[in-house]
Amino acid sequence: MKKKGEVVALIFVSLILGLILSIQFKTVNLSVGEGVLPTQRAQQLANDLRKVQAEKEAQLRLIKELEDKIVVYEKGGVENDIYAENLYKDAMKYRMLAGYTDIKGPGIILEINDPPIDIQFGEGFSIVDELDLILQLISVLNAADAEAISINEQRYTAFTEIVRAGNHIEINGVSTNSPIVIKAIGNANTLESALSLKWGIVWQLRNYNYIVHLTQDQEVEIPRYRRVKDFVYASPLEETGN
Amino acid sequence: MKKWNPKLMILVSSAIIGLFIANGMRLNLDLITPVTVKSIISAKNELSAAKLEVEDLEELIEQKSSELKTLENIASGEENIIDIIESDLKLNKAKAGYTKLEGPGIEIIMFDNLLLDNNVISYNDDIIHDVDILNIINDLKVAGAEAISINEERLTSSSEIKCGGPIIRVNGRSLGAPFTIKAIGDPKVLMAAVNAPGTYGETLKTIYGIGLEPYIVDKLIIPSYKGIFAFNYAKPMEEGD
Repeated sequence: MKKKGEVVALIFVSLILGLILSIQFKTVNLSVGEGVLPTQRAQQLANDLRKVQAEKEAQLRLIKELEDKIVVYEKGGVENDIYAENLYKDAMKYRMLAGYTDIKGPGIILEINDPPIDIQFGEGFSIVDELDLILQLISVLNAADAEAISINEQRYTAFTEIVRAGNHIEINGVSTNSPIVIKAIGNANTLESALSLKWGIVWQLRNYNYIVHLTQDQEVEIPRYRRVKDFVYASPLEETGN
Repeated sequence: MKKWNPKLMILVSSAIIGLFIANGMRLNLDLITPVTVKSIISAKNELSAAKLEVEDLEELIEQKSSELKTLENIASGEENIIDIIESDLKLNKAKAGYTKLEGPGIEIIMFDNLLLDNNVISYNDDIIHDVDILNIINDLKVAGAEAISINEERLTSSSEIKCGGPIIRVNGRSLGAPFTIKAIGDPKVLMAAVNAPGTYGETLKTIYGIGLEPYIVDKLIIPSYKGIFAFNYAKPMEEGD
């Protein structure tokens, strides 16, 4: 009968459709890995993160505003007093030394990218695993008389720590990840040659397959240190004229 | 008589269903991106790190607003600009490392592995390298050290620690073993940073046999930076740049 033939054809088509759908699901599972979860949680996390980041940006703007106001007040306050003005200059000098001023000047920019992931062995490695190298790099830059250093826009000060936290790095309490961009102000030629010496640190990094770009720049901008650091344990010892 | 052609019905309804499915897929494109447990955990970590940063910034805002408030009090005569700048100068001088500091903390004495009868693979494993000291210093900073010195050389932001053959150069001066590292901070936390199992210091001591002896000291004196440092290349950025 003609009618029956149609029904059979419909059933057949539906079966094939069902099969295709299930195969599709299986492949997604295989290629992405087990444990595919409902995406709601992930979306919620992403939303929260976006919110926190917006908050952070608003705070940074507020800080900038406050800093600008403070500068205006300070400058206004010292205007008519030579002693105060000299004191202010001195204060600015130490503020700069302690890393509380945005500064710029000639220097170098070093960018370290993770090596490409080896297809044969799966997971690649990252600079996150080798913080020693970053510590050494900074030491080399300082040995080459760098005047200021920043790592991913975090000013390197006497209190700056570099810690691994999970699969990212925390510098000055701010989490960053590769690529690592290190900026240094100083004599650009000295800095560059100190880094790119044979068997030197950049050579070593390249030997480990990191993709390193080292460039000289006439206008390197290094941001100030933005973290509250109070002396709780240490107290200044008055110099007793020696 | 048939009013509707069943074949046509099926055709129309499947077309409508197809449209619905396609529409739904298009709308929820980001909803069907697959998510794994791993990516959720890393997103969570990122979120908590971001929250910590926000807390840090909040603290900074508080500090800046109080600074602003004291500055505003100048007009009313409650505060003196010279006092404010002087205290700012003193604090930054201490932070930059130009003031002698005193406080509780720890002292670490580090010396090379002096044993003769151990079967080491390389003599390099027996001696202290710049990397070892850099790692210990970094651990101390993580533990909140407020001031650090190596053999009476104050560490500043521009102090280098470099191997130079038999010596280590710090602040342009040559230091030889044994090294005395002093750090002011919470003594217990600092002690844990170099002594707890799994830390770099502990590994150095137990696996490589390098001498590393930390002591808690109630009253440490850390000298000021002795070198002369001047900015020859760097210029402060003008406000509003």
